[in-house]
Amino acid sequence: MLNRHWKKYGATPGMSGLRELSFFLKTAFGGLVTIEFASVLVPLLALWELAPRQGWVPDTLVPPLSRVAMTMWDMFVNHGLWGHIAISLVRFALGMFFALFTALPIGVLMGWNLFLRKHALPLFQLLAPVPPPAWVPITIIVLGVGLPMQTYLIFLGAFYPILFNTYQGVKETDPRYLASARVFGASEWTLIRSVYIWHALGPIIMGIKIGIALGLVMLIIAEMHGGRSGLGYMLLESKEFFQMDRMVVCMVILGAIGWFLIEVMKYVEAKLALWRVGR
Amino acid sequence: MIEARNITKFFSVVNDDRTADGLTAVLSVSLQIPEGRFISLVGPTGCGKSTFLEILAGLQAPSEGEVWIDGRRVLEPLPSSRKEMEAYRRRYRFLSPIANSLLRDRPKHDIAMIFQDYAVFPWMTAIQNVRFTLKLRGTPRARRDELAKKYLAQVGLAGSETKYPAQLSGGMRQRLAIARALSVEPRIILMDEPFAAVDAQTRERLQEDLQELCTSTRQTVVLVTHDIDEAVYLSDEIIVFSPLPGTIRNLIPVNVPRPRRRGDPELTGIRERVLAIYRHDAEHLCDWSI
Repeated sequence: MLNRHWKKYGATPGMSGLRELSFFLKTAFGGLVTIEFASVLVPLLALWELAPRQGWVPDTLVPPLSRVAMTMWDMFVNHGLWGHIAISLVRFALGMFFALFTALPIGVLMGWNLFLRKHALPLFQLLAPVPPPAWVPITIIVLGVGLPMQTYLIFLGAFYPILFNTYQGVKETDPRYLASARVFGASEWTLIRSVYIWHALGPIIMGIKIGIALGLVMLIIAEMHGGRSGLGYMLLESKEFFQMDRMVVCMVILGAIGWFLIEVMKYVEAKLALWRVGR
Repeated sequence: MIEARNITKFFSVVNDDRTADGLTAVLSVSLQIPEGRFISLVGPTGCGKSTFLEILAGLQAPSEGEVWIDGRRVLEPLPSSRKEMEAYRRRYRFLSPIANSLLRDRPKHDIAMIFQDYAVFPWMTAIQNVRFTLKLRGTPRARRDELAKKYLAQVGLAGSETKYPAQLSGGMRQRLAIARALSVEPRIILMDEPFAAVDAQTRERLQEDLQELCTSTRQTVVLVTHDIDEAVYLSDEIIVFSPLPGTIRNLIPVNVPRPRRRGDPELTGIRERVLAIYRHDAEHLCDWSI
């Protein structure tokens, strides 16, 4: 019974790793591999290839698709692009880790309790409007150039979207659900665990998605301002040498990383918020 | 024994022209409900009966008056002086005066409530919903499954245990809410228009089930409804509320032995009495508002 119900949405609790992966790939790539989208994408790619080759745009400014692909291959094989991607991902993961493990609890606490909200919220509301890139100079002076500074900048980018979305979601929990749990004697801790967080799941995941996007922005800014590795550094270095194709490769990879992470979040949402599917 | 003493509830409201106004939802209601009675509160919509029920459940604090259940007060009194207010604020800084516990699940009174719009948790399956309330009441883990299954079967939800509320129909969702309330075997059940949102046939079936349950397990039931037939069919005593401010207009005992039959002439007679009160009030409209 349970299995049949879960299967309706393409997922079962005891699904094997392989089928789980295929489910993820289907949801992630499903929208890309369609005739409708191919009819848009293929002409665009063809135009990208043809325009520089035919001389409609100068090919020093717009490298054709084939040259970008060759450069990417070359960079992966000969110039250690893997290493740069890996170090960038490590920095990003560290920043996101700290952002999640501070913003989620603080957001939940502020949404749950008026006393805490009155004390903490104004502080965050004052600090949040400072654009995260404006923190770069002071961070470099205080933390120096290196992993702590990069982690801190990524943390800054991701922290506020996660915090405010979590706080809003928890604050707007339907009082009917709270009342129905309280009548049966639920403690505040049980309410947080079993009612508030679940009710706020949508906004929380939305916050994490925005956090991922802003975290990637801050990753590039942080790497451009210091360090000898990473995708942001590579972008800047290519600019110095006027290597258009390498820049485009970096941009493509960054776009792919962002897209992939958002798809992962969508997958997590589909897994956790199965009950919303029926609505 | 539920005892309401002089319950009054004010709301402050803001008018369209931004002036402040007061609204008396419930005015000076005193009521004693002995153990094992089935009481119905009827009255036109918006006459404060739901507010009164929430005050009985301890979900709202009355502006004046107090509710006692079995000699224990439901909510502690609201602060009346600045000093009391400070103490109250300090005490409830991290708590809601309603839940009144930070870490341990601990019901203050043996109450279960069924809400008008079900309020079953959409993120839990049917059986998880029932298990959750059982957990709140401290049922040992091993017994939860068995009890939850038993009560779901009792309301005719056997086989739908692993469905989410979104996959259930309105009537089934309401039955889930009833199963959730009954599963903790409470001594007092409060119902806030429980059958308002289900179709007529389902409603009749649920009413019959409820009557059967109440005759077999003598629980105290307080039912808020605007369906007079329902009230007459189910209850031992009907309390007619008058609208704005909600006060007790009449107490009408229903001394008809159970099990009852729909369309019993005695029940129809009582129904006519309630309707006559409604008609009289509509004809001799009096403005109670302050």
